[in-house]
Amino acid sequence: MAAYRKIEGKSTQILEKIRENLEQLNEKIDVMIEIQKHGQRELPENLPEALDVMTLLSLPDHLRKTAVTLCKLEKATADEVSEQTKRARAVESGYLNQLVVMGYMKKEREGRKAYFYVDRET
Amino acid sequence: MKKIIAVHSYKGGTGKTSLSTNLAATFVRNGKKVCLMDLDFRAPSLHAIFKKQNLDYWLNDYLNGVCEINKVLIDATNNNGNGGKLLVGLANPSTEAIRDMTAKDRKWEMKALGRLLALRSALLNDGNFDYIIFDTSPGLQYSSINAIVAADIVLVVTSLDASDINGSQRMTSELYDLFEKKTGILINKVIVDYLKSKEEQKKFTKKMKDIHNLPILATIPCFCEVLRAAGNFIFTEERPDHPFTETLEDLAEKVEKF
Ligand SMILES: Nc1ncnc2c1ncn2[C@@H]1O[C@H](COP(=O)(O)OP(=O)(O)OP(=O)(O)O)[C@@H](O)[C@H]1O
Ligand SMILES: [Mg+2]
Repeated sequence: MAAYRKIEGKSTQILEKIRENLEQLNEKIDVMIEIQKHGQRELPENLPEALDVMTLLSLPDHLRKTAVTLCKLEKATADEVSEQTKRARAVESGYLNQLVVMGYMKKEREGRKAYFYVDRET
Repeated sequence: MKKIIAVHSYKGGTGKTSLSTNLAATFVRNGKKVCLMDLDFRAPSLHAIFKKQNLDYWLNDYLNGVCEINKVLIDATNNNGNGGKLLVGLANPSTEAIRDMTAKDRKWEMKALGRLLALRSALLNDGNFDYIIFDTSPGLQYSSINAIVAADIVLVVTSLDASDINGSQRMTSELYDLFEKKTGILINKVIVDYLKSKEEQKKFTKKMKDIHNLPILATIPCFCEVLRAAGNFIFTEERPDHPFTETLEDLAEKVEKF
C-alpha cells in the first residue's frame, strides 16, 4: 500500500512537471506566432532601455494596450492582464511575451504561475 | 465615482492652472475630498496661489522617491463645514529644482510614471479622496504625458486661437486616443459676444463639438475680473455669485457624470 502511494505521488509530480513544460512551450509558441504575425520590422532597431511614455507611444496599438495595463498593475499574470483588457488570455500571453522579448518587461515564475513586470530598478 | 483628472493643453497660458484650481475648489464646496497637484515642474504655479515657499517636501521629492506622498500634501481647506477637503501637492519653484527636473533621463521618467500610478491606490483607495486633479505643463512634456497616462480623464483647455485648436486636435489623435483616454474639451476665454443668449451658446458649443469631435464640457467666457484677480486668490471662493463660478459649478457636475 505504502509503495503504491509512493508511486502515485511520483506520477502526479511527473504529470505536474509535464504540464508546466507544456505551458512554457505554449508561451514560446505564442511569442513566435506574434512575431511572425506582426513581423520583426515592428521591433525598434535600437531597443531603448526604458518602458517610459515615449516608448509606450511608439509601440503598435495592440502592444501599447498590454504594456499600459501592466504598468498599472505593476506585476501580473496574463490572466490578470486579459481581465483588464478584455482580450483572450492566450492573446495577452503572446503580447506579454513579445514585450519580454523586446526587453521592455521581465518575466518571473512563482510556482506554476508566470508573472510579468516592468523592471524599474536596473 | 472616484477619478484622476489631468488638466492639459497644447499651448501655454490657456487657463489650466486657473481652471484646475477653481474646479478643485468647486468640488470641495460640494463636499468632496480633493487632492490638487502641480505637475508643471518647468513653471510651478500652485505654490504662489496657496502662498507656500519653504517646504520640507515637494512633489519633486515624492517622484524622486525621497518621501511618501503624505509628507508632501498640505491641507488648504477653507473651512466651510460641509465635509469637503482640499489638499495640495506643490512643485518646487526654485531654479535649482526646475533645472534638476528638466535634466531627468528616460529611466527616471519611467520611475516617475510608476510613482504617479501608485497615487491611485494610496489616495483614492486608501486615502478616501474623491478626486485627484493634475495641473500640467503645456504640450508634449514628459511630466504631462505621465500625468495623462496615470489619469482616468483628460480635460483639454483650449482657446479659440487657430494654432491652439489645431494643436489640440493633433494631441487628441496622437496622444489622448493612443492611450484610450476619456477626453473632454474646455473652451476658455471665449469672447462674450459668442455666448450672449442660450441659443447662441448652444450653436457655438455645437460648432466646437464638430471641430474637436469630442464632448465640450464647458465654454468659459473671458472675464476681466478673473484676469484682475491675477492668481492672488481662488476666484470661485471669493466670488460665489459671479458667472465664472456658475460656469465652474456646471463643469464640476459634468465632470462628475463624465
Ligand atoms: N476665463 C478667463 N477669463 C479671463 N482670464 C482668464 C480666464 N482663464 C484664465 N485667465 C487668465 O489667463 C492667464 C493664464 O492662466 P493660467 O495661468 O491658468 O494658464 P495656464 O494654462 O496654467 O498657463 P501655463 O501654460 O503657463 O501653465 C491668467 O492670468 C489667468 O488669470
Ligand atoms: Mg499653469
